Amino acid sequence: MHGRKFSMFRHSASAALLAAASLGLVLTGSGCAKNPEAQFAWRDSTELLIPDARKTVQKTMHESFGTPHDLVAWARMPVQYGGLAPAAAATDDAAAGDAAPVDNGPFGHQLQLGRQVYMKNCLHCHGVAGDGAGPTARYLNPKPRDYRLGLFKFTSTLAPERITRDDLHRVVKYGIPGTYMPSFLLLDKPGTGDVNTKAVIEYVRWLAMRGEMEKRIDDELVDYSLASIDDEIAKAKNSYESAKASGEKADPPPSRSALTRKAAGDFKTYLAEDYADAVDGTADFIAENWIRADEEASLIVPKVARVTDNAASRERGRLLYMSDKTKCYTCHGHTGKGNGPATEDFWPKPGSTEKYANRGLHDVWGNKLSPRNLRQGQYRGGRRPVDVFRRIYAGIKTTPMPAFGGTVLKDEDIWDVVNYVMSLPYEPEVPSAGPAKAPRMAATEARQ
Amino acid sequence: MGKFWAVFFMVFAVACVALCAVAPYCGWWFPGDGKAHSTLGQKIDDLFYLILVIVTVTFIGTQIAIGYVLWRGATHNPNEKALFSHGSHTLEVVWTIVPSGVLLFIALYQMDVWAHYRIKTYFPQKMEPVAEVTARQFEWRIRYPARGKKLMPTPQPDDIYTVNDIHVPTGHPVAISLRTEDVQHSFFVPMLRVKQDAVPGLVIPVWWEMTDTGTFEVTCAELCGWGHYKMKAQVVAQSEDDFEAWKTTTAAEQFYDGVPRSATEVAQRPQGE
Repeated sequence: MHGRKFSMFRHSASAALLAAASLGLVLTGSGCAKNPEAQFAWRDSTELLIPDARKTVQKTMHESFGTPHDLVAWARMPVQYGGLAPAAAATDDAAAGDAAPVDNGPFGHQLQLGRQVYMKNCLHCHGVAGDGAGPTARYLNPKPRDYRLGLFKFTSTLAPERITRDDLHRVVKYGIPGTYMPSFLLLDKPGTGDVNTKAVIEYVRWLAMRGEMEKRIDDELVDYSLASIDDEIAKAKNSYESAKASGEKADPPPSRSALTRKAAGDFKTYLAEDYADAVDGTADFIAENWIRADEEASLIVPKVARVTDNAASRERGRLLYMSDKTKCYTCHGHTGKGNGPATEDFWPKPGSTEKYANRGLHDVWGNKLSPRNLRQGQYRGGRRPVDVFRRIYAGIKTTPMPAFGGTVLKDEDIWDVVNYVMSLPYEPEVPSAGPAKAPRMAATEARQ
Repeated sequence: MGKFWAVFFMVFAVACVALCAVAPYCGWWFPGDGKAHSTLGQKIDDLFYLILVIVTVTFIGTQIAIGYVLWRGATHNPNEKALFSHGSHTLEVVWTIVPSGVLLFIALYQMDVWAHYRIKTYFPQKMEPVAEVTARQFEWRIRYPARGKKLMPTPQPDDIYTVNDIHVPTGHPVAISLRTEDVQHSFFVPMLRVKQDAVPGLVIPVWWEMTDTGTFEVTCAELCGWGHYKMKAQVVAQSEDDFEAWKTTTAAEQFYDGVPRSATEVAQRPQGE
């Protein structure tokens, strides 16, 4: 079921060990300790599982993805590992004919190169596991992307879809202005076919799949976590207390060790009966999502060409911006400065009634977000009209920016909004009149 | 033993000269092909070579003198009586006047190159900048005016943007407006011999004239933070026609609305731009 392991360090390990042992005394004595070995950190949700469940998850992850020093190319993940998979090489001779140039390198070489490029350029912000928690991350605002939900902000795909390789390519090549993500335009020498860039993109995709896999398995096992045991104790305690208060007879709450034992017993059954299916299903789900992202049907292609950028179009855009249909102004503000009334509210955390401690909007990682100041002329997801069109069409994934395309706005309407928004940096700052005060609202309605 | 030291010091001096002579053939010289690719850079190199010749002559002369003195001292007759001297006034005047003359010559001679850069014809404020280069941790962002337009101090709707990729035409002097968005950086193009600090709050004009087309590395020469080492860009020097054509295609890409227009574009679309 699993792919082949390839090790970078195993062969030299024994020799290195000997050398390290002899050097060790000298180095530690002089205060020059060895760097810690790179490791994929576990999610908190994995660490909080009961020991049996945790070990099972960690074993699955090790078998499917390996460690940073000992990568596993799992054939079920849609990653271009480079080279021909050992199984495919034997049977694929006929099919290889119509494929692009045959990659005869050793299996997995692209992933290994990607790791090398990643470790050199990306790791200090994005972290070994792609968790956005590298050593420099704590100094950055906005925070570096945590890949482990498999979600990225600036994509060219429909709202429910993942990011494409092309999108990642653009981000690596041109950076994200307004953030600390710099351009890696010169990562590859011209004419070398972007080998390093392509490899690091595969590695990032692989890290995202790995992270999502861990998260989804943890979610499956949520009944076997210490948190759910705490919940259960609290619940039992409550009902016991209330029963006692009303004078009824009730069982005292179970002890933690009893519950842990019970969860361990339940987990044993689950492991024997359902775990393999859960892992299988999760792997299929992730693989299908990532394959679908690169399919043509997922790409947002405007149905009409950009509406001519003139005063009339911008005015229509402005009225849409101020309308209750889009409510753009509630976040981006009446003047487009990103200071709408929504930034002053306390918002509930997703899936709960508890509110964030700070005013303003948050992304799915819980970081505070400012709606974009549209007057700066800075476009994180790209400044091509099609980029802004796609932001409005599919929203910005992981953020409160919703998708308008196909439902709320027709493509022509989106182009009007694009024209209005892209004109803002060059216009004097006059607060937009709301639709109630706008006599030309009728024009917009007539158009629809 | 005296002879040994005389020979030792001479071997050392000869090795120095020999090493310097072969350095350009071993790649231990100026970056790239060793030539400056801007007109001013060639003048700067000329100054460098002039000074190199002066110090080489001086070095060889003094080494021969030292060698002669050491050898004489090692081979003199031990019974010979030492000569006692109060020094030579004439000699002192000579070795004061000659180096002063050389230094004065260098000081005056180089002023022309400095004036050429800062004061003479191409003083950059008289030139239209081709682009605004903004340094930022840790990349270079470039803004060009649209084809046929002048660069405005503030962004315009039809401006063209690139990152880490500075295209300039050859055949006439070009200027850029250098800015920084955050801390101090330094715009350094070793192969053009151009180096200019970017200072927060200032827009600094920098000019040069390409001698040929090609791609030249840009680095940051002012330690600006943890990513300083990766702050690389390139200057791409093109003929005037190629430069204008590049502007046209770049503008077309930048104003792309995502709607495939022709059969070829349809075929290319899945691969991105």
